[in-house]
Amino acid sequence: MPLAATQTSVPVVVDNDKCIADKGCTVCVDVCPLDVLRISEMTGKAYMAYDECWYCMPCACDCPTGAVTVNIPYLLK
Amino acid sequence: MGGPFEAYSDLDESAERLKAADAGERRVAVMELGHAGDPDAIPLLAGVLADPDAGVRREGARALGEYDGLEAAEAIALALIDADPDVAAAAADSAAELRDPAAADPFIALAGHASASVRAAALRALKELRRGDALKPALEALRDPDPSVRVQAVGVLGFLKREETIPALRIATADADPQIRRAAVSALAFAQSAAATEAIHAALRDEDWMVREVAADTLGNGAAGALVAPALIAALDDAFWQVRLKAARSLGRLRAVNAAPRIAASLVAPQVNLRKEAAALGEIAAASSRPHLEAARDDPDPDVRKTVGWALRQIDRRAAAREA
Amino acid sequence: MKRSGAISMGMDGLNNAVIPGHATPEQYTKEITIANDGIVNQAAVLKYAQRCYGIIEELDRFGIRFAKTENGDFAVKKVHHLGSYVLPMPNGDTVKKALYRQLRRARLLISNRYMATRLLTGADGRIAGAIAVNTRSAEFLVIRAKTVILCMGAAGRLGLPASGYLFGTYENAANSGDGYAMAYHAGAALANLECFQINPLIKDYNGPACAYVAGPFGAYTANNEGARFIECDYWSGQMMLEFFNELKSGKGPVFLKLNHLHEDTIAEIESILHKVERPSRGEFHAGRGTDYRRDMIEMHISEIGFCSGHSASGVFVDEFARTTVPGLYAAGDMASVPHNYMLGAFTNGAIAGEDAAEQAYGLDFAEIDPVDIARERERVLAPTRREDGIPPNQIEYKTRRLVNDYLQPPKVRRKYELAQARFAEIRDDLENRMLARNAHELLRALEAASILDCADMAAFASLYRQESRWGLYHLRTDYPAKDEANWFCHTLLSKRDGRMTGEKRAVDPYIVPVADDEKALYGKQRLRASA
Repeated sequence: MPLAATQTSVPVVVDNDKCIADKGCTVCVDVCPLDVLRISEMTGKAYMAYDECWYCMPCACDCPTGAVTVNIPYLLK
Repeated sequence: MGGPFEAYSDLDESAERLKAADAGERRVAVMELGHAGDPDAIPLLAGVLADPDAGVRREGARALGEYDGLEAAEAIALALIDADPDVAAAAADSAAELRDPAAADPFIALAGHASASVRAAALRALKELRRGDALKPALEALRDPDPSVRVQAVGVLGFLKREETIPALRIATADADPQIRRAAVSALAFAQSAAATEAIHAALRDEDWMVREVAADTLGNGAAGALVAPALIAALDDAFWQVRLKAARSLGRLRAVNAAPRIAASLVAPQVNLRKEAAALGEIAAASSRPHLEAARDDPDPDVRKTVGWALRQIDRRAAAREA
Repeated sequence: MKRSGAISMGMDGLNNAVIPGHATPEQYTKEITIANDGIVNQAAVLKYAQRCYGIIEELDRFGIRFAKTENGDFAVKKVHHLGSYVLPMPNGDTVKKALYRQLRRARLLISNRYMATRLLTGADGRIAGAIAVNTRSAEFLVIRAKTVILCMGAAGRLGLPASGYLFGTYENAANSGDGYAMAYHAGAALANLECFQINPLIKDYNGPACAYVAGPFGAYTANNEGARFIECDYWSGQMMLEFFNELKSGKGPVFLKLNHLHEDTIAEIESILHKVERPSRGEFHAGRGTDYRRDMIEMHISEIGFCSGHSASGVFVDEFARTTVPGLYAAGDMASVPHNYMLGAFTNGAIAGEDAAEQAYGLDFAEIDPVDIARERERVLAPTRREDGIPPNQIEYKTRRLVNDYLQPPKVRRKYELAQARFAEIRDDLENRMLARNAHELLRALEAASILDCADMAAFASLYRQESRWGLYHLRTDYPAKDEANWFCHTLLSKRDGRMTGEKRAVDPYIVPVADDEKALYGKQRLRASA
């Protein structure tokens, strides 16, 4: 069966003005237990690549510049 | 180090990148130095505290928390007096992570600093280090105008558990700030002297209910049962059920037989948490409590029924032991 | 490594701390024995209880902050008259940070983002190593080892949360049960898997309600009338059955009640609960306008899982954390020492590490058969070689939805048989049609395989034990009573000649006897509860 691309709203939001991933920081990507964050090749900033979040918050708490916000996933908030 | 393993970065390389023009790049280099796990990173991190960018300095203060010992402590102390409040706050958290008693020196020196937040952070760091020579600055800090400093001073003295702190802690039980009175009463728990007991005793009449609660709880720890029982029995009439609860629990621990009838009265209290303290009647195990407990067997609350059942069994066991 | 595992963000307290002056190892062992309906290996429980205080002291030296009195002593909370085991951690968010710091200081070799997929055993049955795959690059790695310790956490993605969100699980969703599957395929025995993990939690948020944290402050679990209803003294299947019954009765839903407490007390509880274990909890309540001062917090029961932290199940180990495969160890939520929790993971992890190091000392590597490696490479990489197929998330969703439909207790034989038939169909899809377009999807594909293995084990183990035990955890409608004569034993599940098999294993004689009147006491309470 062929595959479809289905839209989903993701809980983790990154403030690109604060994010220093383009300077070599990978803290949020490194601490995510589900490995769902990536650095964008286009912007050089971190973003949530997969909607597979446990809303556990190390990415937000450990971000050195406070650039990451974790929202409660829509299905359960 | 390559292959499947996490890198231990080369300190020289990180040091080189500390010179980058971009603050973000410098910040990333600081984080690497924090995770290096190599004490040779400490002087490099100390140097970071002179960075023009406050964000980089804050990262430095945070990274220093990964290290212990005097050298790290001296750098953290430097960050503690940074003009930027975020840097100082990060340094205060790092200072509280220190465990090596040798780290105490710079904080003893800062206990008399002009800024109250620095004084409080220095004392907070000293608490876990338990160094005897922190006694003097802590005693002085008990007279500090700022309550956030005084409460940390009580902590330093309490952790030391030394007889000579008792007079000062007694005075602190009469502090203007209820939070400090609470801390001081708890800090006296270690002391067995009559003077200490008397101070906690007096705290049972404190105007703040949480101070009275702590006092009622603390008195249950002591050996001075006979001395404190009357005051604890009086506390069973406190306006706050939370205080009455701790008083009952302490009287149980002290096995204060003459308190049993008064505790039994709480079996009909509207608060289930208080009725549950029927457990104290089990600890006291006076036969005279039996009718009150029997009457409470069908309490609507399952936890109360359980403690009532347990208490009755304790009375049975005590009676059986006496017969044997 | 920095934030991995069930305690990703930290832990707000220990609830099984055996600290001198507050509890004794013997008393603890006795209570755990009773809470698990007697089916325990007491030697392992007692060893944990004797060792855990030393571990607490070590963690304290590492800078992990436990609640202390104003005199610097551990501030153990008394929850009820039985024993005092609760040690709060008001700054428990430092746990992982402090551990990681110790690893870096010791300059240990740390690997990240490699997922272990299978264990390797030698011709003599001894452990020979493990296979792993990189979840970013799909690089395939063969690791030779003289001893191996499995510490891969619970099977937390077995049931599907009521929200339908695959990752909104009670357990850290990274713990997908790979350790159980690996142990099974290596031939190790798994004990009492029918003793499921089911927990009380905050509805929809699916995080722990932490009644044990709020309890010492006077909070409690209440029904819709605001009254207590739990008769059982322990966090156990019996307690969960009472919870389940109340939910289903006209007195549900069930709530965590704090609104009778003083404002200052509530503020103190909030500062602990919203900061540490699941810090998004505060945000969740804020989103719905829930205020502890005014509102009770709606609770629910979790999806099912395997986790010895909350039950007696897991890879069968002795008091040295040894499994039934020579050289293979297991510790933490996936090993069969009951009520492990975080401190058990640390303590039994230390026990496993010490013994594994000692055993490895005089050994040579066992021979690895290249055929085993080739077979595993084919299994692991197969989903990446297809051009078309079913994505792992659909395989996983379907498995877990069927787990909810058919395996959630009460357990009905006919439902279980239907589940087994459906699982076999999914297995065919998983092995022949699952598609992974990148390394991340491959990670999820391999997890889906572990989840399906665990679902099959849950079904098999539940049908094998023909009685009801552990309250809701193993409540069978066709065998509603406990059968001490035939089933006072461990059940061991293992792979023999490629097939799942079950066997009984006697419970070792108790080291710490449990007096009849103590057993009777609990029996009496239960009678009342079920009346």
